[in-house]
Amino acid sequence: MASTSTSSSISSICARCLTRSRTSQISRTSIASNHQRRPFSVLHRPPPNYPNHVPLKLPERLFLAAGSALISFLDPRRGDLIALLGETTAQPFFITRLRDTMLRNPTGRRILRDKPRITSHSLSLPYLRSLPPNTIGATYVSWLDREGVSPDTRAEVRYIDDPECAYVMQRYRECHDFYHAITGLPIVREGEIALKAFEFANTGLPMTGLSLFSTFTVKAEERRRLFGVYFPWAVRNGLKAESLLNVYWEEVLEMDVQAMRDRLGIEVPPDLRQARAEVRKRKREERERKEGRVSSVRNTEAGEAKVETQAEREEREQREIERKAMEILEQADKM
Amino acid sequence: MQRSLLHLPIKRSAWALCTSKLAQITTLRSHASQASPDPEIYDVVVVGSGPVGLTLAAALGAARTTSHLKVALIEGMNLAPTRDWTPKPEYFANRIVSLIPSTVRLLKEIGAWKHIRQDRVQSYDGMQVWDGMTGARVEFDWNKLWGGKDSQTDTTIAHMVENVHLSHGLLKAIDQLALKPTLIDKTKVENIEYGQMTKEVDMRDWPIVTLSNGQKLAARLLIGADGGNSPVRAFAGIESRGWDYDRHSMVATFRIENDSMFQKFAYQRFLPSGPVAILPLPGNFANLAWSTTPEKVAHLKSLAPEDFVAMVNAAFRLSYTDIDYLHNLKSGVVEETKWRESVTEFPDAPQVPVRITEVLEGTRASFPLKMKHADKYVAERLALVGDAAHTIHPMAGQGLNSGIGDVYSLVKALSEGIMHGRDIGSSFTLEPYQAERYLPNNALLGFVDKLHTLYGFESGPLVPLRSLGVEIVNRDWFGLKRFLMSQAAKS
Repeated sequence: MASTSTSSSISSICARCLTRSRTSQISRTSIASNHQRRPFSVLHRPPPNYPNHVPLKLPERLFLAAGSALISFLDPRRGDLIALLGETTAQPFFITRLRDTMLRNPTGRRILRDKPRITSHSLSLPYLRSLPPNTIGATYVSWLDREGVSPDTRAEVRYIDDPECAYVMQRYRECHDFYHAITGLPIVREGEIALKAFEFANTGLPMTGLSLFSTFTVKAEERRRLFGVYFPWAVRNGLKAESLLNVYWEEVLEMDVQAMRDRLGIEVPPDLRQARAEVRKRKREERERKEGRVSSVRNTEAGEAKVETQAEREEREQREIERKAMEILEQADKM
Repeated sequence: MQRSLLHLPIKRSAWALCTSKLAQITTLRSHASQASPDPEIYDVVVVGSGPVGLTLAAALGAARTTSHLKVALIEGMNLAPTRDWTPKPEYFANRIVSLIPSTVRLLKEIGAWKHIRQDRVQSYDGMQVWDGMTGARVEFDWNKLWGGKDSQTDTTIAHMVENVHLSHGLLKAIDQLALKPTLIDKTKVENIEYGQMTKEVDMRDWPIVTLSNGQKLAARLLIGADGGNSPVRAFAGIESRGWDYDRHSMVATFRIENDSMFQKFAYQRFLPSGPVAILPLPGNFANLAWSTTPEKVAHLKSLAPEDFVAMVNAAFRLSYTDIDYLHNLKSGVVEETKWRESVTEFPDAPQVPVRITEVLEGTRASFPLKMKHADKYVAERLALVGDAAHTIHPMAGQGLNSGIGDVYSLVKALSEGIMHGRDIGSSFTLEPYQAERYLPNNALLGFVDKLHTLYGFESGPLVPLRSLGVEIVNRDWFGLKRFLMSQAAKS
């Protein structure tokens, strides 16, 4: 907790500094006509290339990258820092390469031209819920509901200099939920790591590769599963599959998930939730056997629900509250 | 010793005398012969009247020691359109050549340059050359160089002239010679073989050229200026080694936006598929030379004019990824490039050529690119010049210039031989020509070929290295750039 608070204060100070210097620069440009001749320094930050853009100098970029890498390694729940790490390490080469991958593909080009954004406004969630369960839209929304997340939880890109590359990063970020949906990997840490490995092989963004270091922070058993099952799957499928950035998700919502997987060339990985549940069940049985109690005939699903720990119950309740809040919001939108 | 008999008069008498004697012998014998018509004897038979062949004929006629040689020039095409060529205002042909200062000097010496209309010649003294992948750029711009232009020296790098204009000027120069060479056009070479020994002469080592009209020419010296697939070279059994680049060069002439506020530059951007160049022409015109794969050239030719124009503008502005993708589009290139140019950063004119507005109708054409070098340029009674001896990638604009360099060297070797009383067909006379030209040509061919390979890489370790090299040149470290530029102007 201590690390979290310090990190947030550091990042907020940084952000404040940057914002201040940026605004002062903007006001100065209107007065000084020779701003283009001024060297780029902390005090003379050039004007932004797009709204929210913060131009960085190399030392600043390195500092932000190192800091965000360290803190997000220590506390993987800091999604904002993972996003920051993604932005500060993608330049100059990787994001350009990803953009070129999109430019080489007709659909990718169309995406770059239209620049669609995925939000709860652009996607009608109730409509998605009304789709047949085997469609991408329904899988996506059921995944959103199951994990209790919303498409609006994605931060804006700020530190990538080229507007088009910044959009590519934004798109990658917003489509991340679709990758979860199409691979069926849950947002528990193990699933995130497996998906990051898949993304690294598919997009080549350094952040996704750096995220794999957090393999060292998970349980030994999970690590064994990652190395044995999910990493081989991720590498094979990530390299083989067509780039996920070249999918116009908004247009394929009504498409069958399996057909989409076939088109992209992705195999479904073993269900991680099920695997985890089975492991938990086996452990529980072992424990029960040790304690000398004979396990009565139980429905596995019921048993699953019964062995829910305190933390998991809290999490589930939280999600339900969030989902209800979302529904209320959507209804409010409609009205 | 019949052979020496034939050689003797040349060694002893003045050259003019000897040729007239030979001519007499020929006429006498043509009366006497019954069965097959006897070959007419020429001192020099030049096969092929491209710019190099014409320059050779004009140079032989202009040089004092060689001006009395009896020369024949054989051409398969009709020379009349070239001879009667009148410049169309507001139009430039698609095939143009860049003539470096030394070439122009030779053209002046042989009296051809005064027939070239200077208002249709565009000279330039600056170049913008850059890497399509990294944007690393060499600017040959005298105004940006430290110390600026030296007012004493001529800094011109090259003059752009239409091929047909140059040939026209050369033909005019040939027509004004005191002893005109025999021009045989619309006639193909049917066969080349060695002559026979008759009672009068031994022609066993003389090439006899049989033409498609039945005429036979015996050559004391046969010169092949007949291009890359030279029949003369095939007759001599000289192997020509090299390879196909699997690239075609696309040419076209454009009308461009008003560029009067800028200096005239030659522009070349190295794309992994091959370099694309825009060369200046007088007024608001420019010429394209785009080397790329045959499929892409076919695509460029099939595009609608406005799409083609957009494509060429894009070739100097957009990323290679975009250009590669645009080659897949059959139409709609205009809108696609408009969008891409709005989101791509590229330098302004004059760092990139000003926008082209219109392609002149019927000027889109292409030709395949090769690198070939003959094992040797000379044999007994035989010499090869120009493309017959060496074919080069056009990216450096040196093909014709090195061909004309050959001509200069060959004529020098011939007059040297004549002054020393040697037979002009003997390899003793011809050897100095080969000795002087083979190595420089080989170095040039090799350099351009390596450049082609080096810039063929889309990624990999050589891409940053080549950009580093280019940056070093461009920063004028060690005075490298000034040296290169003054060498280019001096050459």
